[in-house]
Amino acid sequence: MSDTRRMLAEMADPLFADLGPGASEDCDLSRLEELGLPLLLVSEDEGGFGGDWLDALTVFRLAGYHALGIDLPALIVARVAEGERRHELMAFARTAQIAGALDAALALSVGYVNERQQFDRALGKFQAVQQSLASFACEAAAANCAAMGAAQALGRGSAQFEIAAAKLRANRAVEIGTTVAHQVHGAIGFTQEYALHQLTRRLWQWRSEYGNDAFWSRRLGKAVIARGADSFWPDLTARTD
Amino acid sequence: MQTFVTEAVDWPDSAPALREQVCALVVEHGERDPVKRANSWTKADPGFSRKLGEAGLLGMTWPAEYGGHERSQLERYVVIEELLAAGAPVGAHWIADRQSGPLLLRLGNEELKRRWVPAIARGEAFACIGLSEPGSGSDLASVRTSARRDGDGWVISGQKVWTTGAHVSHFMIALVRSEAGSERQQGLSQFVIPMDTPGVTVKPIIDLTGAHEFNEVFFEDVRLPASALLGTEGEGWKQATAELSLERSGPERYLSSMVLFLELVRHAEGKDDPALMEMVGRLAAEAWTLRLMSASVAAKLARGEDPALEATIVKDLGNSYEQAIPQLVQSAIDFDDADAEILRAVCFYLLQVSPSFSLRGGTREIIRGIIARGLGLR
Repeated sequence: MSDTRRMLAEMADPLFADLGPGASEDCDLSRLEELGLPLLLVSEDEGGFGGDWLDALTVFRLAGYHALGIDLPALIVARVAEGERRHELMAFARTAQIAGALDAALALSVGYVNERQQFDRALGKFQAVQQSLASFACEAAAANCAAMGAAQALGRGSAQFEIAAAKLRANRAVEIGTTVAHQVHGAIGFTQEYALHQLTRRLWQWRSEYGNDAFWSRRLGKAVIARGADSFWPDLTARTD
Repeated sequence: MQTFVTEAVDWPDSAPALREQVCALVVEHGERDPVKRANSWTKADPGFSRKLGEAGLLGMTWPAEYGGHERSQLERYVVIEELLAAGAPVGAHWIADRQSGPLLLRLGNEELKRRWVPAIARGEAFACIGLSEPGSGSDLASVRTSARRDGDGWVISGQKVWTTGAHVSHFMIALVRSEAGSERQQGLSQFVIPMDTPGVTVKPIIDLTGAHEFNEVFFEDVRLPASALLGTEGEGWKQATAELSLERSGPERYLSSMVLFLELVRHAEGKDDPALMEMVGRLAAEAWTLRLMSASVAAKLARGEDPALEATIVKDLGNSYEQAIPQLVQSAIDFDDADAEILRAVCFYLLQVSPSFSLRGGTREIIRGIIARGLGLR
């Protein structure tokens, strides 16, 4: 990670944690503006932050991790794109937010099962619970890798294939992630008082926004089929070579 | 919490040329039948392995002194992903090139290295791994096959089972109990056992498709010289488990059913069927993601890190993907259609072999237990 990106993360992380799900544009937008965050992708020449797509990934992911109440990714993207391109870039943003929120929900779940005692031992000591959380960790890892892959592809070009693939993969991760997170939490995870729903309700929302599974899988599948079976693998490797 | 941190993989400049070289070789000497191209890293073709050896595509990262080609880890990764995506019959040399060679180079004495490593790089020596025993499957620390000292040398007695490729291999690297009365992970050592040593007997186990890939291997007072001990006496457990990241995250963990996916795409060409588009899209997205994950682990290994948790995650997701492809294809395609003949044949073959995908190299349950430990649950 570059030094500027690390600084960006160290700046955004505590701020987003402090603002949290309760933040609103009316009350808290100025704190994001003080750091220049809505202008993250606007070039320095035009008075912006001059960030790249990996910087965007960092900020979007942290916005998801802390379930930030302000839709900062939408503010950032609106400054640099419109129409169809805006829709694609927002799909990338939601992918990164899903990745962050899944990691946060996983951390909450692991923390909870290590603490909660039943049958005289921590829930996390039960193999059934361990196996469920391992599946969740795999899905969270896949969503994070997909988001990273899309960010890298955006650094190289238009990234239409990668954004489609990444949003689709992240959407699918929402299913196991939210299911396991709630299951291991038991009833407390179902309350308004406990923080899990701030993550899971957003995850369900983000799965639908800017292209659900059907939307992206149809678009991606159509493109792959049009290129033909013999082009799939050479196309895939040419994207990174 | 972030269990899988990816960084940009710095793909080698030579990648496109290597891909071309592999493709040309596969077109000339590879397998054409799509059924035989499925799960191709278990398909042994010694002739094909020798062709790869001649082309300098085995032992790619090893020192020239031992017949290697001193290429980078990622150059090797490019070659193996191309071979697997093309369904090339790489089973004969797969284990030797992936782990036995590197293990010998890391821990072997000079005699072992000289004897085996250059021959592996030429595609002439193949290896098998002696881990499982009749009473020791997932619980590997319960191995009972023994090595006892006999003068300067050793005598091996016991039995291994589910040994892939023992019948085409020239040597086995076996994990055995070298200290009588020792418990669990203690007192284990690794030995290099030439398969033509008197007292070694290989018996085939035929799998449910009728294929012969794995075996029982019996050791009846098999005498070995002192030089057959690999690494340090008593350190066998640590030595055997240290190589698992290499074994768990390679492209063979997600590409075993790739040929079926490609046949599905071919089947969908010109049909304009939205259901097929959705299935192809979903499976393409997963392949793209898994390739990134697997390559990202390879890049970390190349830097000398041990991304054990990430490697294990790749195996679990990859195996589930390989198993999902035949299930999804069967659920969606009418196999009575005349134009689905190839798809049907590949699919039925993979349905039958795919249970092994989440057994070999650590069962799904063991793998998820390791992930749980990585999460801090055990």
